[in-house]
Amino acid sequence: MNLEKFEIIYKENRIEIKNKQDIKEKLIEIVGDGNVSIDKIDLLAYSRDSTLITLNWTIQGINAGLPDFVVLPENTVQISEILRLANNEKIPVIPYGEGSGVVGGAIPIYGGIIVDMKKFNKILEINDMDLTVTVETGINGMNLERYLNAKGYTSGHIPQSLYTSSLGGWIAHRAAGQFSTKYGKIEDIVLGMEVVLPQGSIINFKPIVRASTGPQLNKLFIGAEGTLGIVTKATLKIWPFPEKRALISYAFPTIEDSFNATREIMREHIFPAVIRIYDQFETERHFVDIEQAKDKVMVVFVCEGNIKLVELEETITKEKCESNKGINCGEHPVEHWFETRFRVTETSTMPPYKIVFDTLEIASSWMNAPTIYHNVIDSMNKVKGNLMITAHVSHFYPNGVGIYFSFGGVPPKEKSDLEFYQECWNTTIKAVLDGGGSIAHHHGIGINRSHWMEDEWGNSMKVMRDLKKLLDPNNILNPGKIYVNTWKRGDINGCL
Amino acid sequence: MGVFETLKKYKWLIPLIEKADRITKSTLMKNFRLKKKNFYPEGEFKADIDNLIKCMLCPNMCRFDCGTLQASNTESMSPAYKARIGYYLSVGKIDPTQPENKQFIDLMYKCTNEENCKVWCPFEFSVVSLLETVRDDLNDKNSMPDYCKDQIKKLKNTGTIEDYNIFKTYEEKGIENIETDGNDEVFYYIGCEMMKFPNVVKANIELLKKAGIKFSTNLDKRVCCGAPILNIRDLETGNKFAQDNIGLIKKTGANIIVSDCPGCVIALTRRYEILGVNIETKVIHIVEFIKDLIEKEELKPLNNMPKEFTQVTIHDPCLMARNLKDTTSMRTILKAIPNIEIFDPIYNKEYTHCCGWSGTAHWVDQELAIREASNRIDELKQTGVNLIITACPLCELGLTYGLQDNEKEKYKILDISELLLKVI
Repeated sequence: MNLEKFEIIYKENRIEIKNKQDIKEKLIEIVGDGNVSIDKIDLLAYSRDSTLITLNWTIQGINAGLPDFVVLPENTVQISEILRLANNEKIPVIPYGEGSGVVGGAIPIYGGIIVDMKKFNKILEINDMDLTVTVETGINGMNLERYLNAKGYTSGHIPQSLYTSSLGGWIAHRAAGQFSTKYGKIEDIVLGMEVVLPQGSIINFKPIVRASTGPQLNKLFIGAEGTLGIVTKATLKIWPFPEKRALISYAFPTIEDSFNATREIMREHIFPAVIRIYDQFETERHFVDIEQAKDKVMVVFVCEGNIKLVELEETITKEKCESNKGINCGEHPVEHWFETRFRVTETSTMPPYKIVFDTLEIASSWMNAPTIYHNVIDSMNKVKGNLMITAHVSHFYPNGVGIYFSFGGVPPKEKSDLEFYQECWNTTIKAVLDGGGSIAHHHGIGINRSHWMEDEWGNSMKVMRDLKKLLDPNNILNPGKIYVNTWKRGDINGCL
Repeated sequence: MGVFETLKKYKWLIPLIEKADRITKSTLMKNFRLKKKNFYPEGEFKADIDNLIKCMLCPNMCRFDCGTLQASNTESMSPAYKARIGYYLSVGKIDPTQPENKQFIDLMYKCTNEENCKVWCPFEFSVVSLLETVRDDLNDKNSMPDYCKDQIKKLKNTGTIEDYNIFKTYEEKGIENIETDGNDEVFYYIGCEMMKFPNVVKANIELLKKAGIKFSTNLDKRVCCGAPILNIRDLETGNKFAQDNIGLIKKTGANIIVSDCPGCVIALTRRYEILGVNIETKVIHIVEFIKDLIEKEELKPLNNMPKEFTQVTIHDPCLMARNLKDTTSMRTILKAIPNIEIFDPIYNKEYTHCCGWSGTAHWVDQELAIREASNRIDELKQTGVNLIITACPLCELGLTYGLQDNEKEKYKILDISELLLKVI
């Protein structure tokens, strides 16, 4: 099979590696023969992540990118040596966890070495006194959570991608789980880390509960998407598995009413583990059998933990919903959510009809949230070929929310699927920025959002680029992400 | 599926399509209409393209429980990738007839049939059920791998999975052969693989005798159930094995067949049904039969279990737990034995993990199968117990491979019948 038969989307400016056999042998010296591959069957496996547009390409036999080497390191020193070699040879290195990222963060757009972290899958220690677990970062999320549950704990970090994502991916993309209103986001959960820097140094951030020890450098690596270092080990907070769960749901006349109710709950310092607002369209789609929710906005809540606290949270949550025109829909909608929350079928059913679709999450203050919601809906409805734009609100803070938009449509004749996809993304993000929001809540930047970073960060983006240059002067670690306009330029040296 | 039926399935899309502009609507309708033309193979094919596409586009929601992926730790072994390669082989994007593509064909066989994926699949299929349809097309294109051809050759030559007729080794292994007189109550259907564990066979014979069952084993006339050949998808040869087995079963007059191998039970029942062959006699695993005997007090465990056998961990065979859906028989038997303490591993019952030796993976990549076995051994060792109880010859074989040489003294793997016999 000739891999060249497969069209590659990101084919411009690929690094040309002339001495491939030589590099392969050097990699084998570092990680051993069985842990290096240049076989076509392996290279093809790492040609994409889970960015939804890549699914439309996959069914057509088109690859997003293509690596030159796949390497499976077994310890931190090996990663350090791989990075030193990559610096010497000026070859890109792309850290790869479970490939569940949806913004192109793990796509090898310039070729290079995929460093697959799957062998870093050991649970090293549970500390019951301190309520921590120390884990290697290649571990699959579900396998970590199942282990913790069996021992009587939970990490509280339960993203929809739990089954198919890794701890390293959560840290890289600054992830947030469905239960995060109570348990926090990954940056709240990580207490310590081991990181291999782009030039091969290994640094350790000891687990700390809190510190006043200068700028907290460790946070630099949470959300860096593998561009500033490869996180190999982390110590996380864990919690005793909750003894009680209360399932609550209310239907509201408008999205504004639902915002008011949930905002008031947060003001009371009540933190249900799960709060999810579904706009009218999503309510129709997910809760079609709930008669009281017809033409309304459904909100589901899960309060969990200590029995007495849960009862109090449940009481206050219900009071706030009812004082904001909410109609009690009982436990059934929440049970339905529990049953279906991991049943991802759209990714499989849309591409055969050439429907281009995606989800896109953003953050907003309470003040701006209604405007942003309506701005996005209105502007996306004007995109030629777009069929749907819907939203649910999935993350809540005393000061604002994370809103999760879904769009889908068929590209008009004059546009490729990528061009249509980009138009949908750009339209949504522009509406968010115009409304005063932030362009990403928990999926990260990757390729899809990198050209908006200047607008998001203003002149502090220069500092971020300077930091990248300082830590990674040869720009070998996951190039083409975060700092450059890959969709437009595709220039590997663009950030430097 | 026609356009109307497809639209019905995606009812929630209808209002969106209705409100779309004329051009968008027409493009979408065209895409619905041309789905097969755009993405299905030309000409005749057997591959389950619809579900291969669903699987390959899924974000691998079952990956965490895929034994071969967890053993290999490479993306190349992920379930969705296997489906993707299966799809490319089916539509001709990868040409299976080219020798350079051997690795891609091999991937279609790197599955242990454990069907953990089915537990988590939003579409409720197993990856192996899709891979088997790809194998059908590979066979039609004369692209069957050599290791499969070797298996067929052995089965045709000896009637069993070995180069020799393993059933005929009973004398040298000290196994009693009981030929039928045509009036049996039970046909004890010994698996080819179980012939490698004569102590288990002897224990089962002893238990059946102690319970006063009239049964036969017919080892001079036995052939394999045909499961390996059905995995390869040589359905014609599989059918011949089915007919041979039916003939023998009828001669016994037995009204129940009990097998010591869950793979045989599945082959004789569901897999024969797919071939259009229906065994009218009831077929169950012997643990279910023994459990019934204990419950009816026709077998009575006594309180004299040697101390070294009182703490056990259970390895649920995946074929028994998920395919036959029996996770209670072994536990009921063990609970009937005084002083036995059970320490379940984290992954137990319907969530059990595979021993590595089911399916076709161990033919194409024995190292991979051994790593999977070793992963399962690690999970069982975490219970802190040294005695592993199971009820499948493939598991006994696989788990033994999973033990390091220096661990074989410390950890013991026993079939539940061997344990039970100690107290009957």
